[in-house]
Amino acid sequence: MSPRMPTPVETGSVTDREFTITWSDGHRSRYTWQRLRMGCPCARCKGEWNYRPDPLTDREVPPTIRATSLTRVGAYALRFVWMDGHDTGIYPFPLLRLELCECEECVARRAAAAPGAPSA
Amino acid sequence: MVTREQVLEALKDVQDPELHRSIVDLDMVKEVAISDGRVRVDALLTISGCPLRETIVESIKAKVAALPGINTVDVNLGVMSQEQRQGLITKLHGGQTASAFKGPGSFLGPNSPTRVIAIASGKGGVGKSTVTVNLAAALSRLGHKVGILDADVYGFSIPKMLGVHGRPTLIDQMIIPLERDGIRVISMGFLLPDEDQAVIWRGPLLHKTLTTFIGEVHWGEDLEYLLIDLPPGTGDISLTIAQTLPQSYMLVVTTPQDAASQVARRSAKMAEKVNMEVIGVIENMSYFQPTPKDPPVYIFGKGGGAKLAAEIGVPLFGEIPLDQSVREGGDQGRPVMLTTPNSPAALAFRSAAEKLRSAVPVPARA
Repeated sequence: MSPRMPTPVETGSVTDREFTITWSDGHRSRYTWQRLRMGCPCARCKGEWNYRPDPLTDREVPPTIRATSLTRVGAYALRFVWMDGHDTGIYPFPLLRLELCECEECVARRAAAAPGAPSA
Repeated sequence: MVTREQVLEALKDVQDPELHRSIVDLDMVKEVAISDGRVRVDALLTISGCPLRETIVESIKAKVAALPGINTVDVNLGVMSQEQRQGLITKLHGGQTASAFKGPGSFLGPNSPTRVIAIASGKGGVGKSTVTVNLAAALSRLGHKVGILDADVYGFSIPKMLGVHGRPTLIDQMIIPLERDGIRVISMGFLLPDEDQAVIWRGPLLHKTLTTFIGEVHWGEDLEYLLIDLPPGTGDISLTIAQTLPQSYMLVVTTPQDAASQVARRSAKMAEKVNMEVIGVIENMSYFQPTPKDPPVYIFGKGGGAKLAAEIGVPLFGEIPLDQSVREGGDQGRPVMLTTPNSPAALAFRSAAEKLRSAVPVPARA
């Protein structure tokens, strides 16, 4: 993460309907809890070099899933404890900002950059 | 005749030698009795075996005796009860009962004045610990309050290099760092039965030790610089530091040779991943000069530190020459910075310390 990478200045509460982050550059990210859980980057969910699990889908992760708490990890990540007991996912800020943010702007940007996307 | 208030006012200047706070503020003065020229002070120590009890008695006597009309000062020492100790710890944690992790007096708080600098190298044997103790000594000589957290749990060498041995005082769960030449120090070496013991642990225990060193050690709210001597590499300990501290900086140490600077670059890579700002590079063992008249001999090559600094995009804080006195200072527990402050190596350390403090200045003291 470069020092210029924006960092969260405010995070929403686990009791909110959607999770939100306001970044140091003013961007407001929002996340549905279900997709946030499916995006867990830990080795158990995403695998490691000799272990390749199938990606989590909405069959394993119910739409009602919620985090029960979250903490900041050092200066670079957030960690959620989920109501299914899962707590090993450390979400670095670039992942939250660049890959998981579900605001319209970010969704459109990722769609445009995806391979096979129709060129404008 | 003096009043109780005058005595208490005089005692405000008496500090607990380990906690660095006034014994009055810490509620350690239990009673003051005055009759004619005679004053009796009842004070409570945190623990019964307090190694510095004589120091406290002497300072109390000196302060009270300086008041007008006092002939005799008696000091009675007692020991705090469990509740009183808990109250004291709460006070030291800035009014919070939980661990030091969130107290405003802790450098883990968002507004802490303490600048935390992790000293990393990637490779072993380049002189991280030597650089750490000498930078600490240099910062201390520049008038700063400095601490060293020896995070090299397996290969700790700070106790020997700084000549500080013994056991830290424990006040319940709070650990008081040892102190030498004004530098507060905590190291795994102080917790082992003797310093020749080997630490043979896996990751989780390392993690616990480090979080204890960070959260349960009373570094003092006046601490300005905490230097963390990391072990080589980018493993468990470095990761724990990165995950525990909300803000810290990294200083990379290398020797001029490619084999070292190339590995050091990976420490900088890690810093980038965990959002730690690299503030500079120090090149150690840069050259050898038998006498000032001789040309320098570049035993380990030349320019590795400058090249690394340019690649990372940070300043080179200094090139420390190879000097027998640096090694001797380390082995004798007297850093060269303190024994021969005008030697070329010590001057290089001093200049590096000056660059460090301009890169991460501490807030002006009130």
